[in-house]
Formats: sequence, structure tokens, C-alpha cells
Amino acid sequence: MPGTHRVRQMWISAVAVALVVSFSLSCSRNKAAESSIKVGVVLPITGREAKPGQYQREGIDLAIRQINQDGGVMVKELGQKLPIQEVFYDDSSDQAKSASLAERAMSSDGVIAVLGAYSTALGEAESVMPDRYQTPWISTGAAATTIFNHGYQYTFGTLSPTNLLGSTTAEYLGSLVDQGKLKKGLKIAMTLENTDHGVDYGRGIKQWIQDHPGYFNVVFSENFDLGSPDFSGLLQKVKGARADIFLADAHLQDYITMHRQYLQSGLAHQMISYGARGPEADARKAMGDGVDYIFAGIWWSKNLPYPQVKKFNEDYKAFAGHEPDSWYPAPAYDAVRALATAIESAGTLNKTAIRDALKNVDLKDSLLPGQELKFGANGQINTPFVIVENKPGGKVDIVYPKDAATGESIAPIPKH
Amino acid sequence: MTLVDFTSLMVSALLLAGIYAVMSVGMTVIYGVMKIVNLAHAGFMMLGAYLALELFERFQIDPILAAFLTFPVMFLLGGAVHWVLVRRLPHADEPTLPSLLLMFGLWLVLQNLGYLIWGNTDRSIFTPRTLSVVNVGPIAISTLRLVVFIAALVCLGLLEAWLHYTWFGRSVRALIQNRYAALITGVHEDRTAGIAFGLGIGFAGLAGGLLGSLYSFDPDFGRAFLIRAFVIIVLGGLDSISGVAIGALVLALVETFSIIFVPAGYQLAISFALLALVLIVLPGGIASLLAKARRLA
Repeated sequence: MPGTHRVRQMWISAVAVALVVSFSLSCSRNKAAESSIKVGVVLPITGREAKPGQYQREGIDLAIRQINQDGGVMVKELGQKLPIQEVFYDDSSDQAKSASLAERAMSSDGVIAVLGAYSTALGEAESVMPDRYQTPWISTGAAATTIFNHGYQYTFGTLSPTNLLGSTTAEYLGSLVDQGKLKKGLKIAMTLENTDHGVDYGRGIKQWIQDHPGYFNVVFSENFDLGSPDFSGLLQKVKGARADIFLADAHLQDYITMHRQYLQSGLAHQMISYGARGPEADARKAMGDGVDYIFAGIWWSKNLPYPQVKKFNEDYKAFAGHEPDSWYPAPAYDAVRALATAIESAGTLNKTAIRDALKNVDLKDSLLPGQELKFGANGQINTPFVIVENKPGGKVDIVYPKDAATGESIAPIPKH
Repeated sequence: MTLVDFTSLMVSALLLAGIYAVMSVGMTVIYGVMKIVNLAHAGFMMLGAYLALELFERFQIDPILAAFLTFPVMFLLGGAVHWVLVRRLPHADEPTLPSLLLMFGLWLVLQNLGYLIWGNTDRSIFTPRTLSVVNVGPIAISTLRLVVFIAALVCLGLLEAWLHYTWFGRSVRALIQNRYAALITGVHEDRTAGIAFGLGIGFAGLAGGLLGSLYSFDPDFGRAFLIRAFVIIVLGGLDSISGVAIGALVLALVETFSIIFVPAGYQLAISFALLALVLIVLPGGIASLLAKARRLA
């Protein structure tokens, strides 16, 4: 029996040694495997959001390429610079897929952070994952405040809140009243997409009007479904409201469909806006000079008079083969830079440490209006919007704020 | 609401009905003959839109004419798809799971083929006609929508004539009405089904070409229309061509006029509520009501 006992003890010892050896081997293998920093990118490059998703991906890819060309990101704990390795996922503009891909990236693909989420709807779907898997998530294309007001700790966003877009839009219109270009007391008709983005936009406008009595009255406000093939009934109601200003909040496809029908219905207003849409090249291709004088509140413009923007425009064109179309690539580009700064400042690839560092990131040479990128207490940035206006001949000018303006506002829209 | 507003809405609804009818008729023909719910309809519409765009951009062919030119191409494509894939499905008197899966898979393949060839960029057809308007008194009517409506009416008229005055057309109707009786009278089922499938796909392509003039599109184009096409063919009676026209008109009227009373955000919900109502009250669709009226007369 003692012999049997000794054999059992030997077996137990052998198994224990094997476990210890294999554990230490796996640890050393993991250390050795840290030859790059894996970052997940979940964006739609197919489906209805494909175009903005593709532009955002180009912004992210450009930033990663530039960082890697400079040797990568310094990770103090490892005593070396590591390149960023992008793990890309196409969510096909599908909410469920977006959430499951973000989950996959965070739970099983070993990324240290996830970037992306273009559009509020897709961002909302993903936003529950970061805290669950304690992985920093930087949304580059979702701006609705609902995403950032849940008290999540790992959620960040490089787009200012949509209600600020609404209030900036109203503020711009108010400035036109102050300049005498528009009369006081004009009536506004609003059509808003049926999402939190639309709700926030409308709320921002109404709040500004409430805070500045006498400037404008909202006489019509209604929501519409994304991707509707026909807006004739809705536009008929807009016509019936006999408003002076038409403000909509729409995605690119809906903007094109709605504005085509707007023009075909013979509607005319003193000012027209589709929220953050307006200067896109696709819209001009689809409607020609029908998009002239539309103004948009956007998170970024390639015409911003900052040297870093000029350099970005050149680099982006060389990288993507085309100029930046609207605002899409810049917040994505800066999101990668903010993440890289946070990793360097954390000095480790520990996700919670990176999260803590992100909270203190302060990019002083940001591409975004104001040139400074800092995340607020809720994880969202609060940079100002710029208002751009389409001019005849395909020109797009920044018209507000004044210190960034590249041209004068044309208001009201000239009658044909 | 003023009389002008009412008339404007009525005109909008009529123009929309034309669009809805032409996009649904192909689906109805296929369902009528083969009892296959063509989930790939949206994919073929998308192909039609891109074909029209290519003809417009490469050869400067008018987009409406280009839409008509897509018909024979899509007809041949439909015939080929039938010969290679669809005819291998087991014959059935009602939709089967294999047929649903096949058509859904085909839709995904077509979509991805679209991404491969044309990329994910939004495309649109812009001509001087795109934004032009005809003013009839105080009512502004989009020239393009009017042209598309007339084109849709011409298509439906031609289809109706073909179904009534040609041997093949009559054999298609015979298969729609009673498959077994049709077989007894010598209708060649496979050949007729192949032609009907080609016809359905041809109409999907034509509808895509026409819609491509009105909307911007990408390889995902057609999804929103597919849902409405379902509603229309259930409304009209699943295998009735004239029912489709009436179904399209009813849906367009309901969608357009309901917006006066309820927010536009509920437009799709209204379509589905209508669908549910018809399924409960009138399971055979409007066509069954028409047939009953004819019998009584």
C-alpha cells in the first residue's frame, strides 16, 4: 500500500509540475505574442451606411498607418514600441450584427479597445458591450446623448452630442436674424428621423428657441421612418404648415430621397437644412444644383483653417485617393490618435488602465473644431459644430462660426 | 385640408400606386405559376437599377428607355436561373421551405455580387428631367414620376394583353388558375414556368430600372420595396395580376392619406396593420372579392 501511495504522490507531483510548466510557458508565449496592439474596428462598409462607414474606416486606417510608420505606440511596461494591428469587422449596417461583432472582438478576439460604430442606431446596439467586457470603446460615428447617459465607464465618443447640433443650427439661424438677413418670428417646420439622433436634434433646436424667445416658432414637427421610399405625404404636411424655414434630420439616403421629392413637389423655403447632411458629393451627383444653399451643421470640415487639417487633407487624399467627403473621416482619425495617446500614457496594455488614461486624454492638435479633443465626464467630447453652406458650382463654405468662416452666408435662399 | 391639398395628395398616391404595381407584378406572376415567394425580387430589382445606370452612363441612353432595355436581359437571366436552380425544386401547391431558402440565398448572392461589381457607393441617375415639375394649376407634379407612372401603366397593359391574347399567356393563366387541369389540357409545365419566371424577373429588373431613376441606390436597394410588394400581393390576392394593380392603389392611398391623421413615422406600421386586417377579413385578397362580385353578376 505504501508503494501505491508513493506512486499516487508521484503522479500528483508530475501533474502539478506539468501544470506549472505549461502555465509559465503559456505566460511567456503570451508575452512573446505581444508584438502588436490589437484594436477592433466595427464599421458598416456594406448596407445602407456603407459610404460613411467606408470613409470612417479610411480615417482610422490612415491614423494607424501613420502611427505604425513612426514605429508604433510606446508601451512603457514592455519597454518597447508596438505597432497597432487592426482587426476589422463589417457589421453590414445591421444592429444585431454590430452588437455581436463588438462582443466577439471584446470577448474572444483579444483586442484592447474597439473603435467604430457609425450611426446612432448601430452605436446604441454596441454600447452595452464595453462595460460588460471592460474594454474601452470609442464611437466615431454615434452622437445621440442616450448612448452616453447610462453611466457606462468604458464608453467614449469623438462626436459632439446631437442636441448641440440642433442648438448650433438654431443659433446660426439666430445670427442671420441679428445680421438682418432673416426676419424675426419666422416659422420653422421640422421632419426628424425616428431615432434618438432625430429626437436630440429636435430637442436642441426647441431648447434654443425657448431660451431665445421671439426669434422663431416651430409650427410643425414630425418623425419619419428611416429608408422610406416615399415622403410625398409628409412633405404635403410640411407644405400645409406654411413655414418659412425647413429643417430635417436625416441620413444620407433619406436626405437624397426627401430632397428630390421636396424639389419635385415645388416646395420652397427661406432656409433648408438636413441636419448633419448637405455637402456630400453623392447628394450633388443625385440632385445637381438642387442642393445649392442647403446648410448643414457638421462635426468637421476640410475647410477648417488649421494647419493640421491642411496636412490631414493632403495625407488623406494620398492615402484614400480622394478628398475627405463631409466630416466622416476626421473624428475616426482622431479617435485612433486619442487611443494611442491613452496607451502611451497608461504605459500598459491593461484595458482598465487604458480606460482611465482615455478619461484624461487632451489632444491639443485635434482636427476637430476648437482644435482640442477631451472626453467629458460621460465619455463624449463637446467640441463645437461648424455650419457649412452649399454654394453654386459645387463650392462648400464654412459660414459659422465667424472666426472659421470661409465665405458669407447666403440667406434667404434666392428665388429661382 | 383644402381641395388643392387633397388633389395633390391624390395625384401623389396615384403616381406611387403605379410604382408599387410595377414592382409587385413580377412577384405575383412567379407566385401564381410556381407558388414560390421570390425573396430574391429585391436583388433582381437592384440588378435592373444598375443595368439601367450602366446603359445611361456608358451609352447615354435615356434612363426610362434603359429601364425597358433591361427587361429582355433580365428575362433571359430569369430563364437561366430557373433552368439551373428553380426547376430542381419539388413541385408544390404552396410555398415550401426549400424554395424560400433558395430565393433568400439567391438574394444574398446577388447583393454581394452587386458589392463586388459596383462597390458600396450610393449611385443615382440624374438628368434634366429629374427635378423638373409640371404645373397643373396650383398642383406641381414631378415629370419623372409622371413618366414612370405612364411607363408602369404601359407595362401592366402589355402584360395583361400578353396573358389574354397569346398561347403562352393563356397557359400561364391556366397554371395560375388550376395546375392539374392545365396539365391535363397539355400545358407544358416546365417550359411555361420557365417563361413565367423569366417574365417575373424581367419585371423586377424593369421596376428596378424605373425606380433607379427616382431614388439613389446601392447593392442593398429594394429591401424597403420588397416589404411593400408583399403587402400588395397579399392585398391583391396572391396570384391575381389585376388584384396587384388594385392592391397597389389601396396601399398607396392608405399610406399617403393616413399621414394626415397619424405621424409619418407610423407609415410602415399602417401597411402592416392593413396586411393583418386583410389576412383576417379577406384572406383571398381583393381578387377573391372581385371574383365573388363577378359570380353574383
